[in-house]
Amino acid sequence: MALRGMISPSYIYACTRFRVRRTKLLPRDAYRRIMQMGIPEIVTHLGRQEEYQEIMDLAGDFSGARLIEEAVNRNLARSFRGAMAIAPGSLHTLTGEYLARWDIANVMAILRGTVHHIPRQQIRDLLIPAGELDRALLDHLLSFTTCGEALDALQGWRLYPILAEHYRVCGEEGAFARIEDELYQRYYAGLLGLARSGCSGCQELIPYLRFEIDITNMKNLLRLHCAREACDITLVDQTMIPGGNMSIDLLRRLYGAGTEAEFTSIFLQTTIVPVLARAVRELRQDPNFSSTDAAELVWRRWHQHLRPVHEIEMAITRIRLQQMDALSRRYPFSVLPVLAYLERKRYEVANLRAIARGKAFGLPADRIWQYIVL
Amino acid sequence: MPIDDIKPTRAGLLIVRRRMALAERVHELLSMKLDGMMLELIRLTDRAAEQRRELEDLYTGAREMAAVAAMMEGATGVLLAALSVEAVPTYAVGHKNVFGVRLPDLEPVAVKKTLDERGYGVLGTSSVIDDAADAYENLIEAIIASAELEGGVRQLLDEIERTRRRVNALEFKVIPELMEKRRFIEYQRDEMERQEWTRLRRIKKIKAKRAEKR
Repeated sequence: MALRGMISPSYIYACTRFRVRRTKLLPRDAYRRIMQMGIPEIVTHLGRQEEYQEIMDLAGDFSGARLIEEAVNRNLARSFRGAMAIAPGSLHTLTGEYLARWDIANVMAILRGTVHHIPRQQIRDLLIPAGELDRALLDHLLSFTTCGEALDALQGWRLYPILAEHYRVCGEEGAFARIEDELYQRYYAGLLGLARSGCSGCQELIPYLRFEIDITNMKNLLRLHCAREACDITLVDQTMIPGGNMSIDLLRRLYGAGTEAEFTSIFLQTTIVPVLARAVRELRQDPNFSSTDAAELVWRRWHQHLRPVHEIEMAITRIRLQQMDALSRRYPFSVLPVLAYLERKRYEVANLRAIARGKAFGLPADRIWQYIVL
Repeated sequence: MPIDDIKPTRAGLLIVRRRMALAERVHELLSMKLDGMMLELIRLTDRAAEQRRELEDLYTGAREMAAVAAMMEGATGVLLAALSVEAVPTYAVGHKNVFGVRLPDLEPVAVKKTLDERGYGVLGTSSVIDDAADAYENLIEAIIASAELEGGVRQLLDEIERTRRRVNALEFKVIPELMEKRRFIEYQRDEMERQEWTRLRRIKKIKAKRAEKR
């Protein structure tokens, strides 16, 4: 592990490669051009690019928006596996930990498919082997007929202990949701634990991760609150991710707040407020939108039992990525350029998918543009 | 007894009169039922049309939510959330009686679900999935409500058609035939009475002549 101030050549080499890779991602102008195209033109355009060769391989099996989505998903998997291959030492460990979220999605899809007897090919099409679990292992997992067999085959996986805890209840009603939530909680705990281990750039990564946890918790708290029936406070505890700036106790107090004054006074203490205010300022082009306005906005939605506004969620994601980019420029030979690349790549794929799906559903260009993260 | 077999006698006339009274009463009742069913049909048709408009709006909204979910989470993410559903939405079939017609009464079962009943994890999904799930749950409820109303309209139309045929049969066939039969029997009985009267007079005259000769 490289100590601060003593950066190993392999770190410098890897970080430089990631910076170069980042420059190859689609620029803003490319999105503007793609936005003017129809789906066949997008397929042709991406097919001509060296980066998206998957589109040509899949053109015989899929068409339209599905072809684009399948191709970008495979491209994401290939890029991330490539990133894992070139990341050395602690960068490799942290990259693996970061990519575990795809493993979680894949494992949960396989377990659900096995228990609910969904055709294997259908499940296979949904898998994005962008994490540590490669296609061969995922195919092996797909060959099992019971949940227990699949769990046994996952014993070497870093999140297996969680699965082992739920071995007996696997397949019971509501068990998968609990397993999935616990896997994600352990995923963030693992990321935070690694970040605290003291790698280069990890100190700067911790506030970023904490903010991501806060924003995820706040969004989920709004989701729980707007449910048809008020949920049990234990569900709040089960679904909140520990480790953020906002403690679970604060989130519980926020959930129980009954008046605007109480809610806003608690909410104004959080680190979300300035970012939310900035996101709304940028989204609405309103320079006078203050933190108090942001707290009132959240209260209104909270009071009316409404979910977060998707456009604001996207605006916050844009700000998060800008912060990550700024950090990665400030600490060029650390984990931050790696994660900045992985996050940017993830959103490049999300953007192309959003454009393809939006166009397939006939949504207007300005509506699609709201879901693009640049 | 078929109407043609009724003899032109007093007993036959009584049978015809009884049948006539019954037919007229049935006709009146069926006409009232028909009017009632027509009013119910108009009410139900209006509601069904309104429900269908609502259904179309909900369908458009649900498709848009699915589009947004597919944009933000990808079709893969949406499908993964859909695969998590543990309780399949369905409906319970009952019946309600309107003017003696059994109209369907459909009750949604396991359609509207809370976040923890949907089967997907909160942390592995985002609010767009909830929005899409909500939109499709509302759509399924509207489909069930629409099916109930449209099924009711169809049943009511069938029953109206059947009742109208009965009313028409009574009005234009049974009652006129019974009236005709009653008139025929009355004519026949009048004729028989006249014949009897003439015969009696004739006998009386013959008897009177015989008495004069003696």
